Amino acid sequence: MFAYYLDLARRSFRRNLALTVLMVVAIAFGVGASMTTLTVLHVLAADPIPGKSHQLYRVQLEPRKANGARPGDEPPDQVGYDDGEGLLRAARAERQAWMTGGGTTIQPDRADLKPFVITGRWTSADFFAMFDAPFAAGGAWTAADDAGHARVAVITRTLAEKVFGTTDAVGKSLRVGGAPLRITGVLERWSPQPHFYDLDAGTYGVKEEILVPMTTALELKYSHQGGTNCWGPSPDGNSQAPGAPCVWSQFWVELGSPAKADAYREFLVKYSLEQKAAGRFQRDPAVRLRDVTDWLVYRQVVPSDAKLQTWIALGFLLVCLINTVGLLLTKFLRRSGEIGVRRALGASKRSIFFQLLVEAGTIGVAGGALGLGLAWAGLWAVRHQPTSYAELAQLDLPMLAATFALAVFASLLAGLLPAWRGCQVTPAIQLKSH
Amino acid sequence: MLHMKDVSKVYRTEMVETHAVRNLTLEVQAGEFVAVTGPSGSGKTTFLNIAGLLEELTGGTYLLDGIDIKQLDDRARSKLRNEKIGFIFQAFNLIPDLNLFDNVDVPLRYRRLTRGERRKRIEGALERVGLASRIRHYPAELSGGQQQRVAIARAIAGSPTLLLADEPTGNLDSAMAREVMQLLEQLNEQGTIVVIVTHDPEIAARAQRNVHVVDGVATDLERAPSLVRPTLAAAATGAQAG
Amino acid sequence: MHFLPILASLRRHRTAAALIIIEIALTCAIVCNAVFLISDRLRRMDTTTGLVEDELIRISVTGISEEAPNASAVTLQDLAALRGIPGVKSVASTNMVPLYNSSWNTSVSTVVEDPRPPIESAGIFMGSPDLLETWGMTVVAGRDFTPDEYVDFEAARAQKAHIGSVILTRGAAARLFPGKDPIGQKVYSEKDAQTVVGVIDRIMRPGGLRGTDEDSYSIITPVNIPYTAGTYIVRTDPSRRAEVMAAADAVLLKIDPSRLIDERETFTEMRKDYFKQDRAMAWLLGGVCAALLIVTALGIIGLASFWVQQRTRQIGVRRALGATRGDILRYFQTENFILATLGIVLGMALAYAINLGLMGKYHVGRLPVEYLPIGAVLLWGLGQIAVLGPAMRAASIPPAIATRTV
Repeated sequence: MFAYYLDLARRSFRRNLALTVLMVVAIAFGVGASMTTLTVLHVLAADPIPGKSHQLYRVQLEPRKANGARPGDEPPDQVGYDDGEGLLRAARAERQAWMTGGGTTIQPDRADLKPFVITGRWTSADFFAMFDAPFAAGGAWTAADDAGHARVAVITRTLAEKVFGTTDAVGKSLRVGGAPLRITGVLERWSPQPHFYDLDAGTYGVKEEILVPMTTALELKYSHQGGTNCWGPSPDGNSQAPGAPCVWSQFWVELGSPAKADAYREFLVKYSLEQKAAGRFQRDPAVRLRDVTDWLVYRQVVPSDAKLQTWIALGFLLVCLINTVGLLLTKFLRRSGEIGVRRALGASKRSIFFQLLVEAGTIGVAGGALGLGLAWAGLWAVRHQPTSYAELAQLDLPMLAATFALAVFASLLAGLLPAWRGCQVTPAIQLKSH
Repeated sequence: MLHMKDVSKVYRTEMVETHAVRNLTLEVQAGEFVAVTGPSGSGKTTFLNIAGLLEELTGGTYLLDGIDIKQLDDRARSKLRNEKIGFIFQAFNLIPDLNLFDNVDVPLRYRRLTRGERRKRIEGALERVGLASRIRHYPAELSGGQQQRVAIARAIAGSPTLLLADEPTGNLDSAMAREVMQLLEQLNEQGTIVVIVTHDPEIAARAQRNVHVVDGVATDLERAPSLVRPTLAAAATGAQAG
Repeated sequence: MHFLPILASLRRHRTAAALIIIEIALTCAIVCNAVFLISDRLRRMDTTTGLVEDELIRISVTGISEEAPNASAVTLQDLAALRGIPGVKSVASTNMVPLYNSSWNTSVSTVVEDPRPPIESAGIFMGSPDLLETWGMTVVAGRDFTPDEYVDFEAARAQKAHIGSVILTRGAAARLFPGKDPIGQKVYSEKDAQTVVGVIDRIMRPGGLRGTDEDSYSIITPVNIPYTAGTYIVRTDPSRRAEVMAAADAVLLKIDPSRLIDERETFTEMRKDYFKQDRAMAWLLGGVCAALLIVTALGIIGLASFWVQQRTRQIGVRRALGATRGDILRYFQTENFILATLGIVLGMALAYAINLGLMGKYHVGRLPVEYLPIGAVLLWGLGQIAVLGPAMRAASIPPAIATRTV
């Protein structure tokens, strides 16, 4: 029967070509617009590190002075030198990383390549294992390198190929910010979207080409990129110096289970109380340990414009749907005569209902195919927008399937009322009036 | 075969109540050829609709082949309609964008038949009405009489026990009308009950039995013995009608 | 006109009529809000910085090695050299510029160590002498800084020098000293008191526009920023900007070749880049409006065509009884007008509901009442145009149809 209904649907389309095209196009536009915006939203709200997003936690402490404290104040997002270095030394989590963003210059050893500026990350060694950074060659530096302010660095494949012409750059030397650093590893192309571990350095499309031990970067006075928040004057004006009342870096820990997270939280409270007793912290302990998902929600990472656009597209889809309901209704009622004949010849209401529903569904399939093309075009347009997340706008397989599913589901939904009305056509009356 | 007792049909709108059929009692036996006559608006078409399970009755009982149709839901009625009844309409009502084969196919599709079985029945039915050669043509390419014959083929393809015709010759000229009536008579001889609704007395005269409907009430008309044609059933029992 | 018979006929086809009314209502509601959002974005894009944007270039220089012990001295040389380029009117080094996403902020109070500063966050602009002139601004009260009031950035940061004078924006002055003359008053953006010497009208803060009074709070401080911590802005003739940018490259590298010109752009380019998101949104909204109107028009055409076909006989009968083509045309136009009106009324209510939803989540204002008549006229017009085709087809149905039986 299904094959029969498909055949009938095909014939019906040919007979009412203009109306059919109209409906297909309307559904296609609605689906295309919705899928474009939903894909963008899906990409923007994606888990940047699936598999580990519930094991990585961002640490927040409250080191600010008592003056100006308000009830319900959230502790600052970042940490300063003292707490970063202190928590790193305490090493109470399975792994921990103290990091921040920065910028520096590269002086290639080649006459044909002029010095250029790049963005980088200054971090402790655990970073690579914690965030599953993939290596194309070599590996990370060691904790001893951190302690010893070793002159080492990890660079990306892009940088290696640009400067050395090959990814095999391990062991080579590179002049970074005027100082020669030895390369211990070359990273594969890797860029978690969003840039969850340091949103102040950018949310999407951040390209960090070099990673250097935090201690080394501080010693060599590499410049800092990101947010800095001070609540008092710093010694010698250096907000990154020990003792400076400023926060400018990020502290992440890896904790394998919720129990371990609770234990670490307790440690942070104890640490805060110790700092308060020592006179450094002035407020009551206010610690936060947010995993990646919670962190992204807290920072409201997804741009509100992307959400707004999705709502608009869904509104558009709704109008297209109602439009389709109306057009399907007229299409089916126009055929009251034929429906009446079929009913007289023994078709039950249910048969007619399914026949009409199949017709609606095939319009959905056609609309879905066209809508897929439109969504693809829409995403192409988004990729050419000068937004930071432009290149992420790609249709992946789940979204592709979702497009078809949406189109078919929408058209079946739209077809329910018309199919029901169609099958109510009573045989007797229609046969009388030709 | 067809038992109607005190059947009534009332149409209610907001302002008016129309009794299309009232206290209609009628029995049609196997092998009969009945013409239902009456003036316009008398309710004969309503009677046909009820007989063909196209409309529900408001009151009374209707037993078709022993089955009380009041108990049946839409699904069961459709099935009964599909298997036991064949329709022929004044306006032919063929589906224009299906060819003859597919048109005759329509009622067969609502049964569980294999492709081969359907094809056999369709070809047989079209053969029966003499249009097998035009099996792939479209209704628009045929004359009125030919279209009505296709409609008859469609009606008999499912081997119904009852044929209901509503003014089958109304849109045909006299030559074509004769063809169609001959066909119906042949089918009746082979055992199918034929009930024709008509206002044409010549058509009515060819029927073995006349039922006259006036103001929704049916009465059998006396038939002159010489005009009663023998039926197969009557011949089988050896009874002489005439 | 025969409203009542038309209404009665619509009641008989209430499903299809309801669908069209809902479709018109939704389109009206979405279009009203979309147009409002577009105008909101366009208004944002029109935000002036207060600077003479079409005369300004920004040049950012960075040292190759991190050591730059003579940064301040080199900066002075840079500024002098840049000033010497033909066509350059004025030059300054500054820590931040409007239309850029990086910002420096501070709290400002009228008392020392204030736990509740009246201004939690004000933009803090630091600049060399000529900053105001390079911006193309003059003070509206008080005066610009005098040469002796300037301090060096490193010294100020290390607390070895004190920034004694500040200039406020009008907004900041009104917030800190409502109703009073701010000139000569003391403010605290750091531990020691600072004197307000001047007031400028306004300047757009870098970073995101919040849409609140905070956008108007900024203070200007007399600080010599070295190139390593800030950026150069150069004021010149609009037609000579490209020429000056090229010349600046050469001049700066000649002074210290161990440097890179990191970024160079005109403020016009910066403005385009800064508002790209808003521009994209405005285009998207415009596109959706157009698509919605088209889809609704096609829906009306489809439905009207169906009703014409359904009533062909009825129309023929009317014509046979003496109705003119114009009467038939007007019948369908009136029917469409009624449907559109019902849709628009529903749409207005829906528009406000949508607006409330958006206000809560996306920081848009309340939908101004003027948008409603615009939406109404738009949809009435759309409906009448859409129904014209089918209505004219109806009007040309011949009266002879009345007598045909087949």
